[in-house]
Amino acid sequence: MADLSLNLCGVHLKNPIIAASGTFGFGREYDELYGISALGGISVKGLCLGGRMGNPPSRLTETPSGMLNCVGLQNPGIESFIEHDLPWLLTKDVAVIANFFGTSIDTYCQAAEAFAPTGVHMLEMNISCPNVHDGGVAFGVKPESVYEITKAVKQHAKQPLIVKLTPNVSDITENALAAQEAGADAISLINTLTGIAVDVHRRKMILSNNTGGLSGPAVRPVALRMVWQCAKKVSIPIIGLGGIESGEDAAAFMLCGAQAVQVGTANFTDPFACPRIARELGEYCDAQGVANAQEIVGTLKSY
Amino acid sequence: MQEIRAKVLSCEPLAAGLIRIILHAPEIAAQAKAGQFIHMLVPDHAHVLRRPISLMAFDKEAGTLTLAIQPKGSGTQIICAMKPGDEITCLGPLGTGFDGAGAQTIYFVGGGVGVAPICGAMDAYATETSHAFFGFRGAQYAYGMTQAPCAVSAVSDDGTLGEKALVTKPLLEKIGEKRPDLIMACGPTPMLAAVQKIALEQGIPCQLSLEERMGCAIGACLGCNVKIVAEDGSWTYQRVCKDGPVFDAKVVDMHG
Ligand SMILES: Cc1cc2nc3c(=O)[nH]c(=O)nc-3n(C[C@H](O)[C@H](O)[C@H](O)COP(=O)(O)OP(=O)(O)OC[C@H]3O[C@@H](n4cnc5c(N)ncnc54)[C@H](O)[C@@H]3O)c2cc1C
Ligand SMILES: Cc1cc2nc3c(=O)[nH]c(=O)nc-3n(C[C@H](O)[C@H](O)[C@H](O)COP(=O)(O)O)c2cc1C
Ligand code: FES
Repeated sequence: MADLSLNLCGVHLKNPIIAASGTFGFGREYDELYGISALGGISVKGLCLGGRMGNPPSRLTETPSGMLNCVGLQNPGIESFIEHDLPWLLTKDVAVIANFFGTSIDTYCQAAEAFAPTGVHMLEMNISCPNVHDGGVAFGVKPESVYEITKAVKQHAKQPLIVKLTPNVSDITENALAAQEAGADAISLINTLTGIAVDVHRRKMILSNNTGGLSGPAVRPVALRMVWQCAKKVSIPIIGLGGIESGEDAAAFMLCGAQAVQVGTANFTDPFACPRIARELGEYCDAQGVANAQEIVGTLKSY
Repeated sequence: MQEIRAKVLSCEPLAAGLIRIILHAPEIAAQAKAGQFIHMLVPDHAHVLRRPISLMAFDKEAGTLTLAIQPKGSGTQIICAMKPGDEITCLGPLGTGFDGAGAQTIYFVGGGVGVAPICGAMDAYATETSHAFFGFRGAQYAYGMTQAPCAVSAVSDDGTLGEKALVTKPLLEKIGEKRPDLIMACGPTPMLAAVQKIALEQGIPCQLSLEERMGCAIGACLGCNVKIVAEDGSWTYQRVCKDGPVFDAKVVDMHG
């Protein structure tokens, strides 16, 4: 069996399969189904200082080969996570990635700092949130704003900092470069694509927030294209995600240049998706005669 | 909670617009409680989200689950088109379920497809003095009445079955005769809101089974949250899939 392990920004992962933020909670529920130590890492539900209530129902719906969600970043707060969930997670043999967000540069920095004294292995900064000081435009939209927030947060981050990029931009490679120049240790992409769902019979929006984030296999071609484009521009590690459902899907992202991948929506279709994808990736490598999965990273042949 | 490939034993019409499916699912049946549900993977490769479906009945010895499914959208239509011998992937049993422990007299209230989980609750908790109240659109939509373990009063929207009335009418009349110890209800939101109002006004303990769109169905994604109100007026969101689907009528905000 091929060696799936890797070193991601100095952190050892036993395989490149990471559960994506927001689809896996803090791992407790899935751990009742299988030992979550089977995974390379877990990116926990997006956290902020003081917590957040999130949006009213309905918060999600199915779309062709995908889904939309407007959970609204409901979370119990970084403080509660550190006290009640992190100690348990750290007993598992899995890299813990703290996905976090704020509402201003200050609160982003404070959030990163709150993790500094903890055993969290990496930080993942979600910059798809509206910047209250910039007319509500998300921090992750303009390259200057990506640079500014990454630069500021990096000074408060003790653990390696992953910047999670939004695909709702005109040229994602500019934002990837901005994150790298500002000192990001890695980038992850993509977050969800903004969409809506319409109930034509009631002539009403289905989601309580009107708009939601599209995920699942429907976004995979877009996500692959973006990872492929970014890999040509940046030298820091890339974590690819968006619609991964199988070991071959994971391999496709790695061929495009991702060192590791995250699995989100597929956990809903198949609650055992993450360990299955890890196993299938191993089988793919064996069939390809690859001894270490990292050998395939960025080896995609272009036309 | 188990993930299994369940074999379809039968898949037949139960009433107008309603299909009854019997599954061989011994691992799930062994753990099942009335009011719980299973999360069913649509047996094609296009549907990303599973469909939550209540247990109408279960037989721990035979290892079977009985479901009543309304083929509404594309997912439930594909599920309802299965044939005996087909297999379907299911995760369950999920959720809390009804709790009738200690109640001498229970009034069961079901509307439409919501009668299905109420049948399960009746199997588990009906007593001689218990009574069920079912509301259907019309006679051809009715089910669940012939083998009921307690008396049933049915009403319909069009008057083709029982009185042309809302199910709360016979419920209120019966409460006037004899107060129950507990009410259990499942059905469309307006019906649940009406039952909740009656239960709160009369101070009768009441359990409501709610529906919400679901992602994981195991409590991880917070996709199915509904507003739950505390006595001091403060509120939180709770998960229908894990903290429910059955909630105390006192804490549910049917309007939020
Ligand atoms: C705990 C619980 C128990 C249920 N028990 C039953 C039952 O016993 N029999 C039955 O016929 N139906 C039941 N339902 C409703 C059933 O899950 C939906 O009718 C079904 O998911 C709709 O899928 P579709 O393919 O027909 O519709 P589509 O329009 O294709 O559905 C699109 C998406 O919306 C979701 N959705 C749409 N309506 C509902 C709804 N009312 N509740 C939850 N999700 C919805 C679907 O799951 C899917 O993700 C239950 C729902 C819940 C939450
Ligand atoms: C229900 C749900 C909740 C999510 N919550 C978060 C979140 O809190 N933080 C975040 O960075 N991304 C969040 N995401 C985005 C996912 O982590 C991921 O970027 C996206 O879903 C694409 O991957 P997928 O197609 O494998 O799901 C969420 C996605 C879903 C479906
Ligand atoms: S559906 Fe995921 S928490 Fe209920």
